[in-house]
Amino acid sequence: MWSAIENLKIRLSLALTWRSPERVASAIRGFQVTEADGVWHLHRAIERLEDPRTKAVIFTHGLEEECHADVFGSVQRLYAGGLSSPMHFERKDLYAADDPAWKIFAFVNVGELDATQRFRLLRGALPEGPLRDALKSIIDDEEGHVHLTYDMLRRMGASPGEIRVEFVKVRLSRAWEAWLRVGKRMVDGLATVLLSLVYFLLGPFVARAARRRLEHRVVEFDSAHLKHL
Amino acid sequence: MKVLGVSYGYHDSAACLVVDGQVVAASAEERFSRQKHDANFPTHAVRWCLDQSSLSAADLDQVVFHEDPHAKFSRVLCAALAPFPGSRREFVNSMKAWLGKKLWAIDTISSRLDVAPDKVSYLGHHFSHAVQAFMGSGFDESAILVVDAVGDWACSALYRGSWKDGRPLVERVLEVAYPNSLGLVYSAFTAWLGFSPNDSECSTMAMAGFGTPKYADEVRKIILPADDTVYQVDQSYFNFQSFYRGAYTKKLTDAFGPARKTTDPIPFASFGEQGEVSADAQRWADVAASLQLVLEERVLELCARLKREVPSDNLCYAGGVAMNCVCNSRILRDGPFRNVHIPPDPGDGGTAVSTALFYDATKSAAQAGPTTYGPYLGAGYDEASDVALADHFDPEHAIPYLKRGVVSKGRKWTRQTFADDAALCDDVSRRLAEGAIVGWYQGRFELGPRALGNRSILIRADDVPLAQRLSRLVKERAAFRPYALAMTLEDAPRILEISPEHLHVARWMQYAFGVRPEVAARVAAGLHVDGTTRAQVATAEEAPLFHSLLTAYGQRTGLSVLINTSYNPSGYPLVSTPVDAMTMFARTDMDVLVVNRSVLVK
Repeated sequence: MWSAIENLKIRLSLALTWRSPERVASAIRGFQVTEADGVWHLHRAIERLEDPRTKAVIFTHGLEEECHADVFGSVQRLYAGGLSSPMHFERKDLYAADDPAWKIFAFVNVGELDATQRFRLLRGALPEGPLRDALKSIIDDEEGHVHLTYDMLRRMGASPGEIRVEFVKVRLSRAWEAWLRVGKRMVDGLATVLLSLVYFLLGPFVARAARRRLEHRVVEFDSAHLKHL
Repeated sequence: MKVLGVSYGYHDSAACLVVDGQVVAASAEERFSRQKHDANFPTHAVRWCLDQSSLSAADLDQVVFHEDPHAKFSRVLCAALAPFPGSRREFVNSMKAWLGKKLWAIDTISSRLDVAPDKVSYLGHHFSHAVQAFMGSGFDESAILVVDAVGDWACSALYRGSWKDGRPLVERVLEVAYPNSLGLVYSAFTAWLGFSPNDSECSTMAMAGFGTPKYADEVRKIILPADDTVYQVDQSYFNFQSFYRGAYTKKLTDAFGPARKTTDPIPFASFGEQGEVSADAQRWADVAASLQLVLEERVLELCARLKREVPSDNLCYAGGVAMNCVCNSRILRDGPFRNVHIPPDPGDGGTAVSTALFYDATKSAAQAGPTTYGPYLGAGYDEASDVALADHFDPEHAIPYLKRGVVSKGRKWTRQTFADDAALCDDVSRRLAEGAIVGWYQGRFELGPRALGNRSILIRADDVPLAQRLSRLVKERAAFRPYALAMTLEDAPRILEISPEHLHVARWMQYAFGVRPEVAARVAAGLHVDGTTRAQVATAEEAPLFHSLLTAYGQRTGLSVLINTSYNPSGYPLVSTPVDAMTMFARTDMDVLVVNRSVLVK
């Protein structure tokens, strides 16, 4: 069911965005930033663990994810064909300091599983091109990561019951985030319409005043800059 | 008094904690988020700052933001409306950002930190830069120059700074208002040259070294001199509202020819053999040289005007343009001031420090006076636990994930821990002399964009092929960009063409100096094509371990000088944690990684 919905979503978004290299580049930039976000969470996990052997396994996993971010970055530049504005994620800690470290791997596992399925569907729907090529090896890696993170969960002492509960929590949290994103897009669309109306209604009356204000080249001294202290 | 300074919202978010007049901690958010120039609210930087003094936000006496959101909003609104009816997209995008978030910065800070709104205050953007320049200078009084892209309304500003009754007094003399911006013009040309604006202005400056300023008269028509010695920018060449969709107009390409595409190769090399230079490439370099020359002229004119208004021997200088080390050198050499101070981070990130320091000095019960602070204010980490993973890491597993062109060097890294600094420096200096590429990670990371010996990659300075390997397989950096030299204070006069009174200003890599011909071959990998180098003169007082390493290297080779470049993968900020450092070490062609007293060797 999820797969069918996701497939439909991907095909729809491809039909809408694939004609614009700018939008494709922006979508790929999103993948790049998401992979880099994964590296960030893995590194936070390393800092919380004690066992150097486990740290080494996660460290290698992090190298792979960083490499994926680089690959997406290179492909993004091919599609963008010019300068791109920066895209910054607000990094959020997933768990509190006193939460067990294995919970991070539950989050990563669900994320990797979703990414694998999404990338596979995307690759199936894409025409030949650099993004389709790049996705092949990335999908293989991500499948390995799904197994690795599940293995890490067990190795770190989480019981199957605890894992199942945590997976449900992570899925609910991701669903909530997705809903927020949809809501944000709807508000964004509405804001575009309203602000465009404001622009055309008020613009003719205020544009001249704005232009006059921009003509002030040198501003005299005043002490307004101190009044808010 | 405990004051937190915060800057965020455009680029280089940062936080700084000042306790009883002392800077306890300061960092850009990018070091924690691993996103270069991160503009988000500095959640992690704030938390780390508070942790340094075991404080919570409730313990803070005040939080100070680095700009006036309302003044900035009025400027953004005017700029978006003025081109009506052709600016709907810019208006909609900027209003979404401002009405949705940025206008409410004070409330955001209050709610994010859970402090009462009356505990959050702000300074104007350029005023923050002005106090940033003055507060750490150690001067009793000074003229202050701010040259930036844009803050609220001001783009450049002249101030007067002094101490009166134990309080800092910073008074505005003159401001040059938006859109007359030297910084934005430089960034627009940076975009024309195919580099990222607000990030790669250093590439424009480096490119200038390969050109001759044959277009200077054309650029002078764009950044016009005026009767009052304050420049004026001809706006018909630019579209400052949408940098990434087109920062310049057709008039600029009519004047200087087609812009460079981001994928067009650049044939120049700052050392080693030059590629074949096409007419287009030479044109780009000539335009860059012309822009650089005119920028220097206009900044020097501002200095002259400032000297007339504030007849001091001292100049404090900040703003994004203060990162242009070639222009800084012109101010030092040809400007009217005897002493020049540029803070360690003259950009927006550094305003988090200044706002907190200024508030404390202005409002605390104790009187204050001239003070100084250095760049080593960031986080430091105990490496033992993380470095131990090297014993279990198999580099063979990482082979598919190495950077392009990098060849694996075997199955295991070796790890050694040194008991004392002398033995460490002796070992590392030997490896450097043998031609190793060494990651040098020590103590607290630097405030600002420069690696000053705590998050650095080091190589010997006379080995050009080694520097080419560093550019290609470690830094992924274009060959036309030069490297900087780090040297001891004691050897600096043997290397640089520098007057003794300027030695101390060269401590933070903010100026370019000529190199003495007799040592040029021994520092060939650190010279730009024009024979200059961006120098860091390390002192035993400010950077004791780095100074010891340079000294140990000098004892082996006869000259205490190394190439010092920032320890960051291409597109990322300086490494922060030992794991960040090991990640870059694993994926690139670095040979040795020194994390505090632990040494990893491939």
